[in-house]
Amino acid sequence: MGKDLKEILGNLKYTDDAKVIQQLTAHTKHVHDRMAGIKHKLVIMSGKGGVGKSMTTVNLALALARQGKKVGIIDVDLNGPCIPQMMGIHGKGLEITPEGARPPEGPYGIKVASMDFLLSEAAPVRWKGPMDLSPVWLGLMEMNVIREFLADIMWGELDFLLADLPPGAAADKPPVIAGFLPDLAGAVVVTTPSEVASNVVQKSIGYATELGIHVLGIIENMSHYRCPSCGEENELFEGNTEGMCEALNLPLLGRIPFDRDFAKTFDKGIPLLDDQHPTIQRYQDIVGRIQSLLDYKKILAEKL
Amino acid sequence: MKFVCLNCETYMNFEKVEKPAEGTLGVFFACPSCDAKVSMVTNPGETQMVSTLGVQLGGRTVDAIPLEMTRGTLKEEVSAPTDSGSMAAYLNDKIQAGESSASAGATPAKEGEGGCPFSAMVAQMGLTTGGTSTGTQQSDLQWTPDAQERLGKLPSFVQPMVKGSVETYARKNSYTTVTLQVMDDSKNNTSDGMNWSPEAEERLKNIPDFIQPMARKEIERIAQERGVTTISAELMDEAKDKFMKFM
Repeated sequence: MGKDLKEILGNLKYTDDAKVIQQLTAHTKHVHDRMAGIKHKLVIMSGKGGVGKSMTTVNLALALARQGKKVGIIDVDLNGPCIPQMMGIHGKGLEITPEGARPPEGPYGIKVASMDFLLSEAAPVRWKGPMDLSPVWLGLMEMNVIREFLADIMWGELDFLLADLPPGAAADKPPVIAGFLPDLAGAVVVTTPSEVASNVVQKSIGYATELGIHVLGIIENMSHYRCPSCGEENELFEGNTEGMCEALNLPLLGRIPFDRDFAKTFDKGIPLLDDQHPTIQRYQDIVGRIQSLLDYKKILAEKL
Repeated sequence: MKFVCLNCETYMNFEKVEKPAEGTLGVFFACPSCDAKVSMVTNPGETQMVSTLGVQLGGRTVDAIPLEMTRGTLKEEVSAPTDSGSMAAYLNDKIQAGESSASAGATPAKEGEGGCPFSAMVAQMGLTTGGTSTGTQQSDLQWTPDAQERLGKLPSFVQPMVKGSVETYARKNSYTTVTLQVMDDSKNNTSDGMNWSPEAEERLKNIPDFIQPMARKEIERIAQERGVTTISAELMDEAKDKFMKFM
């Protein structure tokens, strides 16, 4: 036993005969193949919970689809999936075919992948096996669920795929998404004008930027409250999203009021589709800005 | 993962996988030279960890079905867990039987080192509460009252970031006092030390305001590629030509 292990290994050629690396590589290729038909992939994120990320995701998707774009939503909020309910497709399921899982479609043919489709009514996400309570294992499991949603759902040709990230800092989800989607077009960050929210949101923007995720801009949700009786608008919070955007050198993509019409519709699984509604028009304006940002090189060529 | 036959100084070959008991795996390897065999046995937790990678040791014999792992691992009902925590029970059994959870191969902690294998790593990474916090550092720069006032008008939650950015610029340029002029200059200078000429700044205003931050970054990137530190009208022309290719 004269030689040490380093010396022995230096003379050997490693072969993947258990075929683990081969399979992991195949996973990545499978994701890339499926994603190849999608022009723009965006994540909708926030460091803060309860700011309305899912409502924003749904309405951005509807606004894009209203412009004739083909859109899909991946509900990455695995433990609190609510996109299907807002899109009016809660209770539907994925159709498993040899080619992949066919996703249910919401208004305007928007395709949706969500854990909600795999759960019984009111059942929380619970996993089988001895490690079901291990946080490390749960992280690994969730990463692979996201991979399967990206790779196994029959997304087809899409103009936009929006990923609704879960609430909280969700430190593991942005790198997972960015890792699987090297051509991620960027992130749209949602906040409320509350200082508490802005404080946390800033951290998530810093984190996303460190990961190389391009932050397209910020949407201020629940900017103000529109009285359903007289239409008067009043502030809900006393924050300063504009100041934050200026400090972070990011564009404010738009402001969305707290709107009871939305609570009365999306919340009940009947998405509001009236394109003349003032709040929906604000979403239309925002998707216009997002598309300009994605197409910024053409705009610079014209106007610089 | 591989095993090395130290006698023959070669990798052992993967042979097969068996399930010796519920939730466990036996992975067999053999030395191609001396035919020595070894089997690595995983406990239920380790087995599940491997399966969560979505791989099958030795390769797949049949194609994966869509959402195979998600659907196969999801526990649909909310009923009382039957196997929940069995890894904890497994470890508990081992502890009751007198086996240390960190048994073979683990290096015992040296006397006086505390015993936690991670504490040294955490300390090295500066994550301990006793570490130096940059956030509470006293500033070595003076702020004039009007500069201080302008900083105070910003939302409180962005003040630390703006203050840090201005002071970094001030130190880099050997200023000892932060004035309104230093604040303005720091805003017009990127972290890479780019300066924008008034003419270039003016042309940037032709771009819709929500695109300006991105345009600014992109133009500064072009300047960096050219090795210049001032964004001039000529550089703007060059950038425009470059963007024309995307029309």
